[in-house]
Amino acid sequence: MLKEQLEGPDRLSGQQQASVPIVQNKDERAVFDEVFLPHMAEAYRLAQWLTGNSYDAEDVVQDAALRAFRGIKSFGAINARAWSLTIVRNTAYSWLMKNRPKAVVFTEDLSAAEQQELEHEGPQGTRIETPEEIALFKADAEDVQHALAQLPAHFREVIVLREMNQLNYRDIAEITNVPIGTVMSRLSRGRQLLIALLGDRK
Amino acid sequence: MIVSIKDNDELQMNSYCDGELDPASAIEFERRLAGDESLKAQYSRLLSLRRAMRSLPQFEVPADLQARIRSALDADRPGQANRPGLGARLRQRSWSLQALAAAAVFGAVISTSVMMTMDRYDSREEVARQIVAGHIRGLLAPQPFDIASSDRHTVKPWFTSHLPESPQVPDLAGQGFVLVGGRVDVVGHDPVATIVYKHAKHTVSLTTLPPGQSVSDQAIAGYNVRSWSDHEFTYIAVSDISPKDLATFERAFSAESPAPEIK
Repeated sequence: MLKEQLEGPDRLSGQQQASVPIVQNKDERAVFDEVFLPHMAEAYRLAQWLTGNSYDAEDVVQDAALRAFRGIKSFGAINARAWSLTIVRNTAYSWLMKNRPKAVVFTEDLSAAEQQELEHEGPQGTRIETPEEIALFKADAEDVQHALAQLPAHFREVIVLREMNQLNYRDIAEITNVPIGTVMSRLSRGRQLLIALLGDRK
Repeated sequence: MIVSIKDNDELQMNSYCDGELDPASAIEFERRLAGDESLKAQYSRLLSLRRAMRSLPQFEVPADLQARIRSALDADRPGQANRPGLGARLRQRSWSLQALAAAAVFGAVISTSVMMTMDRYDSREEVARQIVAGHIRGLLAPQPFDIASSDRHTVKPWFTSHLPESPQVPDLAGQGFVLVGGRVDVVGHDPVATIVYKHAKHTVSLTTLPPGQSVSDQAIAGYNVRSWSDHEFTYIAVSDISPKDLATFERAFSAESPAPEIK
């Protein structure tokens, strides 16, 4: 099941399967320049968040660019940004699986109990926040980055897409290939986890 | 989007924070927030987290990344798995230019003749295109409907108050098509009723036209279109579900939406 989610640019939702005549009549390179390149900086930053470092991010973006170029015909002229970021996201995961399989933790990889704990009633799920926690976000950049890096990938990606890329739920759902309701619960749970992680730091 | 999870503060708070609550729920949430200290504290934690994340320094994009991508693409052509040597690449490229030119001429000839044949279908196909455009617009908007309700007794009167003719609005949840709302689309210059259903993750738009305008079943821009008529309306369903599922939808709708007794 996970495999399917991670397959490259071929994994497209119904909306995107639309092949619009404009795309076919134009030079593919020109379409690529119009569709993918404007989002390259954003793509690179997303890749860096997902892979955790700049070298991997460069590889991933280059890979993703090639995939996007080869698959440019499947671009449905609906949402170039979401389309491009979908490819980058999928490329990042297949790249990680291939090159650093240990580095990426999906909630599916966790035991049923751990998963349950994460998705629903985490250890911090019911605790009451303290004043120090409320003031906790004097946390410096390093703490925040570190906490983000500790999150399982499924939580990290929705939070990054929401906060850094400032995408709406619909686009996040499309990019991560899950229903909007799942995006909502992952965002909510991921933020709780982050708050807990930042609160625990010493 | 619609969030109807009244019992889950955490989700609602997150949706509010992300600007994804529908206006009515947002107002209600703000009212609660004003009177609930603990909720206020939780909400301010969320805001601090957002501040902390958004104030992180942005990763710097390597200056030559774009140039490197361009040169990687120069060494690649779509649909080509392995990369031949330079000579082969150049040959292929000039071949592809010739092919492109030939295809352009051929395409022009074909499309002229096709266009002439197509002319008489145009007005009906134009209707189909406009209806699909309405569906796509609905998908791109924050919500695919103007009135959100799973209650047929809310949607039907809303149509009645906005349109001269309004269709039956059956809820087909039992058959797998959940009523989520309705919107007014404009076809030609006429406002028409579109009922919106959800089938799993998919949106189905059912647009109602005056009878006798049915369009052929087809796919437009990746969306399947299916149309049928009764005495009162021509119905045009648009969705990315399969033609088979759309046929199921038609049967379900027709069974639940008998033409009214009085003409």
